[in-house]
Amino acid sequence: MIPAALDDLRVLDVSRGIAGPLCAKLLGDFGADVIKVEPAGGECGRSMPPFSGGEAHPEKSLFFLLTNLNKRGITLNLEEPRGADIFKELARRADVVVESFSPGYLASLGLDHPSLEGQNPALVMTSITPFGQTGPYRDYKGGEIVAYATSGIMSISGTTDREPLKHGGFQAQYEAGFNGTVATLFTLLLRDATGAGQHVDISVQEVVTSTMVINQPFYSWTGGVQGRRRPEGTMFGNVMPCKDGYFVNQAGGGASWNDVADFYGHPDLKDERFADVNQRVINGQALDELLVEAAKDRTMGEMFKTASEQYRILFGIVQTPADLAACAQLEARDFYQEVEHPVIGTIKAPFGLWNMTETPARYRRPAPLLGQHNLEVYGEILGYTEDDVMRLRQAGVI
Amino acid sequence: MARLPLEGIRIIDLGHVFAVPYACGLMADMGAEVIKIEGPGRLDITRDGPFSGVHADNQPGADSWNRTANFNLINRGKKSMVLDLGRPEGREVLKDLIRVSDIFLESFTPRVMRGWGLDYPNMKQLKSDIIMVSNTGYGPGSGPYSQYPAQATTQEATHGLAHVTGYRGGIPSKAGQSFVDFLATWACLMGTALALRYRHRYKKGLWIDIGMYQLGCYTVSEYILDWLANGRLGERLGNRHPSKAPQGCYPCAGDDQWCVVSVRDDEEWAGLCRLIGKPELAQEARFATHRDRLAHHDEIDGIVAEWTRSLAKFEAMERLQGAGVPAGAVFDARDVNLDPHLRSRGFLETLRFPPERGIGERVIIGRPWRLSKTPLSVRGPGPALGVHNRDVIQGILGYSDARYADLEQQGIVATRPTQLRPLAYMEMDERVRRGRLAYWDPDFKKRLGTEKDEPGVDAPRAARPAPRDPP
Repeated sequence: MIPAALDDLRVLDVSRGIAGPLCAKLLGDFGADVIKVEPAGGECGRSMPPFSGGEAHPEKSLFFLLTNLNKRGITLNLEEPRGADIFKELARRADVVVESFSPGYLASLGLDHPSLEGQNPALVMTSITPFGQTGPYRDYKGGEIVAYATSGIMSISGTTDREPLKHGGFQAQYEAGFNGTVATLFTLLLRDATGAGQHVDISVQEVVTSTMVINQPFYSWTGGVQGRRRPEGTMFGNVMPCKDGYFVNQAGGGASWNDVADFYGHPDLKDERFADVNQRVINGQALDELLVEAAKDRTMGEMFKTASEQYRILFGIVQTPADLAACAQLEARDFYQEVEHPVIGTIKAPFGLWNMTETPARYRRPAPLLGQHNLEVYGEILGYTEDDVMRLRQAGVI
Repeated sequence: MARLPLEGIRIIDLGHVFAVPYACGLMADMGAEVIKIEGPGRLDITRDGPFSGVHADNQPGADSWNRTANFNLINRGKKSMVLDLGRPEGREVLKDLIRVSDIFLESFTPRVMRGWGLDYPNMKQLKSDIIMVSNTGYGPGSGPYSQYPAQATTQEATHGLAHVTGYRGGIPSKAGQSFVDFLATWACLMGTALALRYRHRYKKGLWIDIGMYQLGCYTVSEYILDWLANGRLGERLGNRHPSKAPQGCYPCAGDDQWCVVSVRDDEEWAGLCRLIGKPELAQEARFATHRDRLAHHDEIDGIVAEWTRSLAKFEAMERLQGAGVPAGAVFDARDVNLDPHLRSRGFLETLRFPPERGIGERVIIGRPWRLSKTPLSVRGPGPALGVHNRDVIQGILGYSDARYADLEQQGIVATRPTQLRPLAYMEMDERVRRGRLAYWDPDFKKRLGTEKDEPGVDAPRAARPAPRDPP
């Protein structure tokens, strides 16, 4: 076997949704043996759209597929006393537990970190919750838009004539998953050195607030509070229309404003009134008009190529999921992984986040079917026989 | 004091702007010794130029490059060394430092590191088990975009986020605030931690090659999968949820005050109906399931907004949460800085600057992780430019006084920039007038509890428009 950074670790993933499962999945990508522990009805991630084929089905959620690659799956009812005991036995033989229950829930079952570390002092438990384990909001309910609102980022997204705007998709959940992995890994480094595990508390609100490195200190440095942009006179640097779609152009980088003016081929852009950032803010409306006119007959593809290759201008085009699915850059970077799933079939899934020598992310298996590895995992880790598993299933424990 | 995760680890930070420097700042919080290297004529752009951000009290002062908010937040707890890497003598110092360091992070284009003989194969010759992290826009390799200049603000479009962000039925919208940079920050941290564990177990270093573009694409994975499996391109939903309802951002009492509400199941829907004094709505068939509520979303939005409109946003949040309905006031930067929850968790920390820097105390964001047995905290402000030149070159590398003096005389090391990009200064009032700020609050220090005498810099005293009432 090729050595991997985490191939000596066992991870129990009892988390639900996106962030926790993603955190555990990333540990699996780098070699950890990740066991997903679900209730008999499956975790709620199985009901998240989109579904392969479009219709809801517990084995066809593409979100679930994405965030549960490289795991084995078992079922266990933590609310049955016998189930809780079995979880303790598993945790005794694990290095990491990832969970995302409401604060206090695992404690009520005797399964929180203080209860488990008596048996396994080296255990790292990572909790990812909307507002963390402490503080006045700890029992508040969360969710994507709640994280966006309470982090500050929504207050600066959108335009002043409309309501604040959440970004598309589930960015806060992905971000929280990444941070779960970050914190778990650094805690493991400490554990490797000291032998002592600990409880890692991750707040999704704080994760998103951590991206506010301009906005937050603006206030503590000057008292200034940023808001949303005005709907007019602010197009440059934001999304602008062209012949077949939209593009974004940013000043700075290696290109001068003169290069930008040449790229658009409009002589008026070299006027004094656009010469520096402040001038471009003050004369924003006139600038918008010139740029829209200059771009109206040009395509996204041509502009992206010319701006990037010929002028070295910071430039982007609004790509769709179809563009990304066919993107040669992503192919060249080994972003996609072909996954063969027993119910979904063969599908190309986003997988490679970065490249690294020696211990890169390695794909080993698709997302588990519900309870798929009950016999294998309970047999291997706890020595249960097929009959044991059968009896526990009849008792509603597995 | 409890042992920190990166105690004894020495890191060279040759990154700029956000992604790599922020990762290094967070590693300084975790106990690493981080040495940030800048060129005498090429400062980090968070120190100077039109995109450097804002200076303490909006006063550039005599050393503007040491006074910006972004630089000091991102680069907290580091050492600063100024070294001219364009000259061979400067690169020799760097190479000596690499020989006694653990991790080297950089965000140059691959051409630059190769040109200096400091790409990974060469780096390994200097220190066999070095961990090297390279962060670029699109990632090196054979792909068509590999050489394209990139910045987070333009990548939001290319990596697919803008396509799915925007008001319902409207044009695509940018996310802002350099979104993908932070994904790269966390990728740097994950990669570095994995590398340290690998090195510890197998006694070998490695190279981590991060392209920000693919990190951004990853966070729209479900849209890519929906396209591949079902041929759907995804749509802009504004603040709505793809499968649950109602969800939205509703106006509250006051100017530009908002609260979001997100109902995840029928029980929460019933709770919302009771709270707003219309329990009968929960019985209505046309609102019975998510599917029904999605079909009548506009009507529900009107009903919810009618209730929120008379309440302060924090009162709306508390009452909704009290009724078991997920909700959140839309925090602006002042709300974030003053939030009792974030404060009680220690997430907001105070940087204390040495008196000679004339910045006083400033509140910054800490880290979104809390370890039960290892309290972490920021370990100091961002360093004044070149202030640790001697500590590094003589203290760590052991160069003689004569050799150090020689480097200084040649301008290989420096404590003042040889050139500065022009600033884009604007008075606070004008920033508001031009729409660059929503408002400004001259009493911010009083509210934050950071009002201190700051020698050398006067606090702003001119007449200001009244700020909004605090929450």
